[in-house]
Amino acid sequence: MAVKIAYYPGNAARAASSEVEDCIQPLCKTLGIQLTEIPKASSDGGNIIKQSSPKLQHALVARNLALAESKGLDVLTTCATSHGIMCDTIDEFKEDRSFANHVNNIVARTSGIEYNGESQSRHLLHFLVEEIGLEKVRDAVINPLRLNVAAYYGSSMQRSGACGDDDPFMPTYMEQLITALGGTPVEYDLKCQSVGAPSLLTINKPVMRMTAAVLSDAKSSGADLIVSACTISHANLDSYQSKAGKIARKDTTMPILHLAEMVAFALGHYPDRFAQLRTRALVIGG
Amino acid sequence: MTIVAKVWIEEDCITCDACQDICPEVFIVSDDTSKILAAVRMDGVLDRNVGGAAMAGSTGTDYGEMILEAAEACPVEIIKFELQTDGAVETVAEVAPAAEVAAAPAAAVAVATGGSDELQALLGGGDRSLAILFGSQTGNAAGLAEKTAKLAANYGLVPTVYDMDGFDPASLAQHKRTLIITSTWGEGEMPDNAESLWQSVSAQAPSLSGVSFSICAIGDSSYDEFCKAGTDWDEKYVELGANKVHTTQLCDVDFDTPWGQWVAEALPMIACVDESGTLQEVLLDEMIAYGSGSGEEAVEGDFTPGVIVQEDLSITLSLFRYCPEAADSGWDTIACAVPGHATVEDLLLAVQQDVDGSLAFRRGNSNGSPTSGVRVNGRTVLADLVQISDLVNEGGVLKVEPLPGYPVVRDLVVDYSSYESSRSASEPWMKADPRDGHTLLNGSAMGTMEAATALTLHAMGDVVSFQLLQSMSDTFAYDSDYMGPGILLQQWNRCVDPRTGESQRDALMASIGSEHGVWAETDFTSVARYGSDGRTASKALNTARGKLLNSTNYSGPHGRLVKWYGRSVKWSGNVNETTLYRQVLGPVGLLSNIFDGVSARMFLGFTRTGAPPFRSLQALLAPPAGIGKIPNMINSKVVAHHEVVSLFNEIDQRF
Repeated sequence: MAVKIAYYPGNAARAASSEVEDCIQPLCKTLGIQLTEIPKASSDGGNIIKQSSPKLQHALVARNLALAESKGLDVLTTCATSHGIMCDTIDEFKEDRSFANHVNNIVARTSGIEYNGESQSRHLLHFLVEEIGLEKVRDAVINPLRLNVAAYYGSSMQRSGACGDDDPFMPTYMEQLITALGGTPVEYDLKCQSVGAPSLLTINKPVMRMTAAVLSDAKSSGADLIVSACTISHANLDSYQSKAGKIARKDTTMPILHLAEMVAFALGHYPDRFAQLRTRALVIGG
Repeated sequence: MTIVAKVWIEEDCITCDACQDICPEVFIVSDDTSKILAAVRMDGVLDRNVGGAAMAGSTGTDYGEMILEAAEACPVEIIKFELQTDGAVETVAEVAPAAEVAAAPAAAVAVATGGSDELQALLGGGDRSLAILFGSQTGNAAGLAEKTAKLAANYGLVPTVYDMDGFDPASLAQHKRTLIITSTWGEGEMPDNAESLWQSVSAQAPSLSGVSFSICAIGDSSYDEFCKAGTDWDEKYVELGANKVHTTQLCDVDFDTPWGQWVAEALPMIACVDESGTLQEVLLDEMIAYGSGSGEEAVEGDFTPGVIVQEDLSITLSLFRYCPEAADSGWDTIACAVPGHATVEDLLLAVQQDVDGSLAFRRGNSNGSPTSGVRVNGRTVLADLVQISDLVNEGGVLKVEPLPGYPVVRDLVVDYSSYESSRSASEPWMKADPRDGHTLLNGSAMGTMEAATALTLHAMGDVVSFQLLQSMSDTFAYDSDYMGPGILLQQWNRCVDPRTGESQRDALMASIGSEHGVWAETDFTSVARYGSDGRTASKALNTARGKLLNSTNYSGPHGRLVKWYGRSVKWSGNVNETTLYRQVLGPVGLLSNIFDGVSARMFLGFTRTGAPPFRSLQALLAPPAGIGKIPNMINSKVVAHHEVVSLFNEIDQRF
């Protein structure tokens, strides 16, 4: 029987990172996850709107959560930043009931719904490990990864209350998943370090140095590629890796793929793309 | 009649329990030795009494015979004592060499032979009781009361600590010497445990004539009613006829120093109150000299809360080492079994003592010293505070490294001078404008503020270690010019303090809004994930950004990012990356992406795994050129988009 959950793609999956969107649907179908669209859901503010108006960002998120709640569903997202943002609002509403009521009143006035704290946010990673189970994932593998894969978690969801039962500072969920998918996880120090994604367009050199540090740490630890749990950080690690390498003077060339892509490939979807990835990882190297 | 002046235990006790069986009022046998109970000693300490503290009150008389019996029964003859006859001390010759008597603490000698006759008479004259009442909400005042009691014994007083909760108001007048230590709760209210007594005393108004007292009040000067509970008691005691022997001490949140001053002055003063309740002020200098003789010993002892003992953990310690002389770094791996309740510092000390004495780390005060920070298993923690069981499970690896972002001096020791110089340059201390405000009891001016503001300030400043807070930022290690969240939070805290002068506030805001200020933080989520300190800082500094955005009218790249992000969401419900890149980066920024290889990486297909080539082409050619794959150049609107617009209009119409 399929597990039903509402799907929130985040800010990037339906824009710059369309490959995530390509992969999430087939992989969920394979694993018996029934995704329910929330067509009314808006951007969550990306922690950018929060800088000007935390209340507005919380209201946007509360409205999205309320839309899922009205269907009696939790929310699944593929983006660590989006998951962290939703958990922030959930925590804020729990800690400050009067603020929650105030925001809910506005959401109710404008959208006719309110968030009562029942619908929770789940990141794809935690949902696969905790709800679907690694055993089921392992059984569904058709094309084992057979690559040395470094997991990138980022900092957005690596805090108590936002990363399921995983350790916030020394997580292992993604490594367990990589193993279940037939790959070899590569340990490296900076897997939870931020790459400064919110400041990609505004702060140049420190962001590039942070990006380069993660890439070179993974590469020097023996990784063939990095799999990212965050769609936003993906842009830093991927599109900007040559620029980061130049600024930091480090070897940063490496294929980057999103968690949803990795799972989809191992489950037998897009074998052509997987072949291309293996070629890049093992032959071209970047 | 046999009067024992002092009794002590020498080394080599075989813990046969004979002495305890004969005289349990004086002796107690622990695992390794017999000890003299604190209750029968002038210094109030539990140990072997090798320092020779005198017997307290009449205990030397009451238990004299039994002490002699115990000494005689001791199979290894290590119970030693001195007898007192008509005021003279008779040392038991065979057990107390002259050198030991000479080395006895000044206070003990004074009891027997030192001091004037008047002081001797005062100290030996009857009732020497001292009542120490505490009103405490969080335990600070209770802790100070206990410490005060320890010190009071140095002045020949017999202290008793009373919780105000349940204290009989009718008995107040019986305590001729009274010290009150109380905190203030909320807006000038009594702590919960003191409220009932305060109400009773206010209602019954018992006469306190003949009572000598002094008060130590703890509070927070950021509140309007600073130390009000203490000053209320002060006024009440005076009103009821008591004699104030020392000025009421007002203590701010850092109460240790002012409490120390108070106790050093108030204790000898109240110790000069004789049995009749008369203050013998002429003996004050002698009393101070008498009491200071054993002061250091008296404050020794473990005042920390007890720990919950946990089972040993077998772990692997992975320890970062750095030798500056050889400019060489590496990792030591040590297998060890440690109690789960031990702190990281305990473990490092054990390694230093048993494995490698050259290991360098900063020691703390066992209570969360701000400079004891290290990074353990990815967390930034205070080594003297965090327990090993909170960081690793049985069989796990404990990876200990220096705090990130600071230069490493040796092993785990980092150089905090960058923090100190940044703090010095940022000048986050108070520079108030002249104002007509309230004054404290000591006459110094005090600003006023709303209770909500005081609460906000208090919450924002409630950070254990600003040095550690710096390291919570992932950016801090990659931008040497960045001031860091620890410095910025102190500046912002001062900015929102209504007592801060206008010119200082302007200077602080300019500093916070500078290139190396709050905008240099690339990602506050990296700070927020470190518990309450991280959340406090990231929330406060996000508010600072909001204020700066308003004051600069959303100019500059940061302002443009927020403005256009908000607008694109308002216009469609989704983020429009095309708009963002164009508005924030501008043509020069976009062009640089082409030269930096970002565009080429997109176009040549190195970034995605099989998406249609058209997207790459589109990214390269269509505006904004060179920023990567923007398949949806113009976002479609979300369903019921008007609801999103309404939300913006209700909450923030600036977009």
